[in-house]
Amino acid sequence: MGKEIEQFIDEDGKRLDGREPKEMRSLNIEAGILEKADGSAYLELGDNKAIASVYGPREMHPRHLQKTNRAVLRVRYNMAPFSVEDRKRPGPSRRSTEISKVAREALEPAVFLERYPRAVIDVSMELLQSSAGTRTAGITAASVALADAGIPMKDMVSSIASGKVDDTIVLDLRQEEDMSGSGDMPIAYMPQKEKLTLLQMDGNFEPHEFEEAIDLAIEGSEQVYEKQREALENKYSKVEEDE
Amino acid sequence: MKVEEREFVIPGQLLAEGDYLLGDGVFRDDDSVRALQMGLADKRGKKIRVIPLEGRYIPQEGDRVIGTVVDDYYAGWMLNIGSPYQGRLSVSDLVQRKVDLNKHSLDEFLEAGDSVEAKISEVDELMDITLEVTEDQRGKISGGRLIEINPSRIPRVIGRKGSMISMLQKVGNCDLSVGQNGKIMVWGDSEEDTERVIEAILMIEDKAHTSGLTDRVRKFLKK
Repeated sequence: MGKEIEQFIDEDGKRLDGREPKEMRSLNIEAGILEKADGSAYLELGDNKAIASVYGPREMHPRHLQKTNRAVLRVRYNMAPFSVEDRKRPGPSRRSTEISKVAREALEPAVFLERYPRAVIDVSMELLQSSAGTRTAGITAASVALADAGIPMKDMVSSIASGKVDDTIVLDLRQEEDMSGSGDMPIAYMPQKEKLTLLQMDGNFEPHEFEEAIDLAIEGSEQVYEKQREALENKYSKVEEDE
Repeated sequence: MKVEEREFVIPGQLLAEGDYLLGDGVFRDDDSVRALQMGLADKRGKKIRVIPLEGRYIPQEGDRVIGTVVDDYYAGWMLNIGSPYQGRLSVSDLVQRKVDLNKHSLDEFLEAGDSVEAKISEVDELMDITLEVTEDQRGKISGGRLIEINPSRIPRVIGRKGSMISMLQKVGNCDLSVGQNGKIMVWGDSEEDTERVIEAILMIEDKAHTSGLTDRVRKFLKK
């Protein structure tokens, strides 16, 4: 990554890429981009590019993994070899296994799994290009893909990170802020139910900074939620314009 | 209602507050009625539902389905009905009488690969699906062409009070068997009729959420 960054926020209060502290990167989501999956979404958050797909509910094989009283949510987070600067060795890693797990736990509370005993819902998130905040990008895209697949859900799951640079709480860290900043806090949030489903943190936060960071991330999630709705809505308005 | 009639809604979205009846595709959360799935909000009287736009087929009691025999067991068959769960059809529920299996073998009735039009007679809490064939279903079906469309579009293929399906049969010169599970069997008077009707059904699938569909499909068939 090269040189150490000495100052993250300039005299005008702007960040490295000219954003305000409480501004997130540009977010674009498109729903239903894959023909063969039951549901799918493509997402760009700044320089991140992610594709999420959903298959199911379908019969669970192998059968010994079936749960008799609910469906199983299988989540796979994967980074493409070409998604980072030095080629990533393909295949699962300690990091991707962990993110798959926390992403599953972030999505599970939103899905009515108990409606489909013995079945499985497969969710995959593929990161084509990565630039800080891939897990939040993955979860946000996966939630759109789940809705696009017609899966019954209590709420959408909207995910974004907040963090700390130069003792300032900021929204949606970019790569340099993530690498050399002093704290990072990704969350996933159900905006209608007002419940957190993922809360991770690294770095050091004072108690009041922690509160501020959560509140900021929740605010950010609500912006993400609006983009998710737009993405789903656009899929159908596009067809109608064909007439 | 907190949303417009026929408004596009996403999962978890608030539809109404207070005393309403719940139709398909909605759930209650304390005092509020919310959308369970992405779809179009719809209200009839006190009943609110969401018409889904996507989703796999989930069996419900009373549904007419078309299934394919994939396996057998000692007294009947397991059918793939295009859902996460297979349907069980016992031989006596197929022929509606007692069958002595010492005198008859199962493959006198059905074999693997056969298509069957049946009714879902029971769905239990573990999603064990029981099928039966009454006088309203055809049972084993032969000939014809089987096509599969998105199950959430089936209501449009049937139409209000069966208007679309009867039009397809009359104008398209064909016989149709439509399963709630998205499988449709087409028997045209001629090969061209079959082709044409299949094209029309795929058109309905594609344009299911638009209005004035029956007239457009009729025009297409008459061309």
